[in-house]
Amino acid sequence: MRDIPHKAPTASGDKGVASDGTRSWRLKCSVNGEPVDVMVDPTQTIFHVLREELRLTGTKGACLEGECGSCTILIDGKPVTSCLVLAPQVQGTSVTTVEGLADDDRLHPVQDSFIACGAVQCGYCTPGLVVSAAELLEGNPNPSEEEVRKGLAGNLCRCTGYTKIIDAVLAAASDDEEPAAAGAEP
Amino acid sequence: MSTLGKRIRRADARGRVTGETLFGGDLVGSEALTIRVIRAPIAHCNITGLDIEAARAIEGVVAVYTHEDIEGTNKHGLIRRDQEVFVTERVRYRGDALGIIVAEDEATAQRALDAVKIDFEALPIIENAEQALQSDAYPIHPEGNVFCNKLLRKGDAEKAIAEADFTIKCSHSTPGVDHAFLDLEAGYAELDGKTVVIHAPGQWVHEEQRLIALALGVAVENVRIVQPATGGAFGGREDISIQIYLGLAALKLKRPVRIQYTRSESMVTRHKRHPIEIEYTLAAKADGTLCAAKVLITSDEGAYLSTGPAVLRKAVSHCTGPYRVPHIWADGRAVFTNNNPTGAMRGFGAVQMAIAYEGAMARLAKALGMDLLQLKKKNLLQDGEPITTGQTIVISGAEQCLDEAAAEIGWQGRSYESPEPHLRRGFGLSCICFGIGYGDSFPDASRARVKFSDAGKLEVYTGAVDFGQGVHSLAAQIAGHELTVHPSKVEVIAQDTHRTPEAGSSSATRQTVYTGNAVRLAAAELRQEVLDVAASYTGLHWDELTLHEGTVVGKQKESICMPMASVVRLGRERGYKLDITSLYKPTTIAGGAKDGLSPRAFITYMFASHAAEVLVDMETGEVKVERVVAAHDVGRAINPQQVEGQIEGGVVQGLGMALMEEVIVSEGRIVNDGFTDYIIPTIIDAADVKAIIVEREDPEGPYGARGVGEPGLIGTPPAILAAIGDAIGVPLSEAPATAERVWRRIQESRNGGEGERRRASRPSNVVRLRGGK
Amino acid sequence: MYFQPKSFQDALRLKSELGGAATPLAGGTDLVVGQRKGHARIENYLDISRVAELRELSERDGFLSIGALVNHARLETCEFSALAAAAATVGGPQIRQLGTIGGQLGTASPAGDVSVALLALQAEVELASIRGRRRIALEDFFLAPGKSALEDDELISTIYVPLGRKSDFYKIGKRNAVAISLLMVAISTDGASDISIAIGCAAPTPLRMKRSEALLGKAGVNETSIVEAAKLAAEDVSPISDHRGSADYRRAMSTVLVQRLLSRMMKRGEL
Repeated sequence: MRDIPHKAPTASGDKGVASDGTRSWRLKCSVNGEPVDVMVDPTQTIFHVLREELRLTGTKGACLEGECGSCTILIDGKPVTSCLVLAPQVQGTSVTTVEGLADDDRLHPVQDSFIACGAVQCGYCTPGLVVSAAELLEGNPNPSEEEVRKGLAGNLCRCTGYTKIIDAVLAAASDDEEPAAAGAEP
Repeated sequence: MSTLGKRIRRADARGRVTGETLFGGDLVGSEALTIRVIRAPIAHCNITGLDIEAARAIEGVVAVYTHEDIEGTNKHGLIRRDQEVFVTERVRYRGDALGIIVAEDEATAQRALDAVKIDFEALPIIENAEQALQSDAYPIHPEGNVFCNKLLRKGDAEKAIAEADFTIKCSHSTPGVDHAFLDLEAGYAELDGKTVVIHAPGQWVHEEQRLIALALGVAVENVRIVQPATGGAFGGREDISIQIYLGLAALKLKRPVRIQYTRSESMVTRHKRHPIEIEYTLAAKADGTLCAAKVLITSDEGAYLSTGPAVLRKAVSHCTGPYRVPHIWADGRAVFTNNNPTGAMRGFGAVQMAIAYEGAMARLAKALGMDLLQLKKKNLLQDGEPITTGQTIVISGAEQCLDEAAAEIGWQGRSYESPEPHLRRGFGLSCICFGIGYGDSFPDASRARVKFSDAGKLEVYTGAVDFGQGVHSLAAQIAGHELTVHPSKVEVIAQDTHRTPEAGSSSATRQTVYTGNAVRLAAAELRQEVLDVAASYTGLHWDELTLHEGTVVGKQKESICMPMASVVRLGRERGYKLDITSLYKPTTIAGGAKDGLSPRAFITYMFASHAAEVLVDMETGEVKVERVVAAHDVGRAINPQQVEGQIEGGVVQGLGMALMEEVIVSEGRIVNDGFTDYIIPTIIDAADVKAIIVEREDPEGPYGARGVGEPGLIGTPPAILAAIGDAIGVPLSEAPATAERVWRRIQESRNGGEGERRRASRPSNVVRLRGGK
Repeated sequence: MYFQPKSFQDALRLKSELGGAATPLAGGTDLVVGQRKGHARIENYLDISRVAELRELSERDGFLSIGALVNHARLETCEFSALAAAAATVGGPQIRQLGTIGGQLGTASPAGDVSVALLALQAEVELASIRGRRRIALEDFFLAPGKSALEDDELISTIYVPLGRKSDFYKIGKRNAVAISLLMVAISTDGASDISIAIGCAAPTPLRMKRSEALLGKAGVNETSIVEAAKLAAEDVSPISDHRGSADYRRAMSTVLVQRLLSRMMKRGEL
């Protein structure tokens, strides 16, 4: 493994750090509740850092140009396409990825609902979708179908045709206590 | 206990909602070497020089490989080995590979790629079939630009057309379409002793294994494919993509190597759905009885064959769809161009054909002044009637599906009320059919192994690839049904050449029947063996025993109760293997060389009907699909929730093809090589979709199940195009029906640009719309 | 180099030192995509996403004062219909979190939805540098595709939208959501004779339809003048044909949409 040189971190970023591919930025933030302190190339995206450095591969990359939503994460609770966010931009923030939705073994209601309603086919869009849907329900616990569509408009799915995804989000909304929602038997 | 027909949860869903499931690009990190591919500079040229020395010299570049490093055969291809792994001299499309760079990291690989110098002699770029057919067109392959012809001749179409009361002539043009699966081509490979192990997504692990071994010049058993979880395919992973690059690098360097395509690279290299031009003549009696069809098909084959001949054959053999047409004359030709090779994509020629024959039917209904529903009902095939190729259709769900779809959309008494004066409502119907499996005597089989582990756990081994369509879950349900074990307790081991038997490709809507039957046969035989073991132990006859919730019990004697684990242990002690591998291999018959007819072109057919409701903005041409209803005779829905999911997903892909998806090329270069401009439906574009499951059991399928993968897409563009035509008052001839195309059609019709309807006594005009360039 | 200044002054100082060699970065929705595609090699990243004062949104002196870092998600709920509607069509929810009003203006694309709405709303933009601040009309800001009136040492600080104008917006995209625009029209009015019409994707920059506006101002708004004004719009745009749409179609839609929006606003009693 080639030794990658890095510069010492600067105090506030005013002095700037190298953007020549070296790991010159000291990234400090929290990811799924855990503190992260790692040297990164400042021109790398948080998407890259999450997957390659932290090996959190749940966040997916189907286009890497902000068009598909499969890379969706939450930064301080707001959904963004992580493929467009450079690592230094999450400095000091609280990042949530799909890996942070479940509580140990207990799935988030949206996650369970997706399974129960048959909203998972190939599953590649699923992490981005459940993150978006979880945030949607956080702010709007009882959305209409139209609000669900609007809220998930930034997440593409090629397999399901979206029907059962909408069912799953509505079911999770109406059934927060008992997430074994409409549809499937275990 | 049996879950047949139940909406059970898929066991593989949990890992996907948590993000734990690993896809090809998740498997290894930066510890593996990175591969980047050197691609062709333009779409058609001779390579006169490939200078990789500067690239090789860059620090961190471990190797650069070209055709000189191919020890085996530098060729691959699914029907003909006509595509080179690495180009030796002739480049035929932009996605042709010249070599690979293997480097320590992504940035180094990119620098090396930029340092490669390619010298080439440009050749004329043939952009479409029309150019390729010119008499002086440059031959893209030595044998010329028209690859093959497929025909169908039944009765005397010319005579029947001449004698008909009504003749419709129309032309349709369908676009190149990209699969746009989300999980980009990615994977890794490493050496395990003498075996190179490749973790990469595909659709047929054993065929890929053979092609890789051929290229690498090694024994088949020294190539192992262990396919990771795969995100979608839709036919787009049938052709070799990254696998040989991975195998080559791992074999030569004896280090783990990985590769990750970008969306652009994925689009530029992958084969596409055939753009097809279809000239269709449909003749009928005054009462609407169809008499004859004359069909001329020209498909853009692109640079290489891929599965083109099979697509053409499927199109030709489906040229009259689910209708009763006694006289048919059909000709299809595949024409090479310097566009992307065209090959398998969900629908496989049948969807383009459906657009054409349903377009003709809609025009005919209008010419006759007949309700479209009535015209269809009059001509749909019933049980026992012969289809296009002459094969007798045992079960035709066509009319039932049509009745269900029409009822659900509210066809009778449909209201054309619209919310705004500039919006017009339209309704459309489509009826389609689809032959299951490869057909045409192409070898088509699946093997499955069902056994108990020593601990008594039920295991199913299948080579079948699951890219989301649910074949693994199906296998668990079927094995579980036979052995009375809940599917959540069945372990499915799959898509590993060295551990699982060959199941054929996950394509052609075949896995439900082929792998479903293979699993059923193996599981049924295993069940018998279980009963034999228990019988030998209990002294009863096996027929006095049965299985209940995974336990052997006596039918009459309640005292008999043997848990499976004990039966397995006892059985193995007595030399019973409790490990069964079964083969399902039905045969089909190729079409006659002179007429294309066959008594068994496919093992069975599926029938379906779609209905669509749209709102068209008459001033801008924008179309909003409000509702789509899709009624499918799936024979038997083993898991109705999954069957609906396949139909719903197919409908929205079909909506994409109908309204917004087209591959746009300029001099062989794909202009819209990303999701910004190659647009697929979002959740807001997706209509309110209702899937209706019709179950008329198929004698071929497991428990009557027929399969469902492709027809959900096939029925959709014809229904939506018909609905738009209904709204604007004139038919469309081109997909996708973008706002601009619809707007132009409206302008043309206002300027009197109609004129297709003629009686047979006067020559018909062919109305051809070829816009969009 | 990569800089992440905490204050606007620091940001301006850096921009002054580095000039055109420093590329401002906010949401990254244009910049990061462009960089990945190799459109431009960035020497220095000037990440201003931490400059808090640029996130202010308030009413002041008869204007809505919008800081350059206000994102499209916040604009979706603003009081100007055209601006809210335009912001709501920018990408999907994730892009609207990241994308900023200043970022869109800085990109200076004729396809900027929010740019077109702001132009119709007679917005002004404040450009800041260590030399001071200057405030110009938005129609003087867009110079050519990708080129704005920003000097090398300037950053956008605030956008001012005059209060009290009624407005409307319509966009034709290639699908119903998350679509690059094919054509869009925005119209605003003070309720009397001051009507502004802006069209996007039909010229090198977002463009005001001055002749149409003058006609309506003189003739008043009625069915006849609406049709005339819409026809003039088709004459005054200069669209190109590209893989998204033809010039003919864009020209025809200019007429359709101007007419449609004017009629809509008239029916609502806003004109």
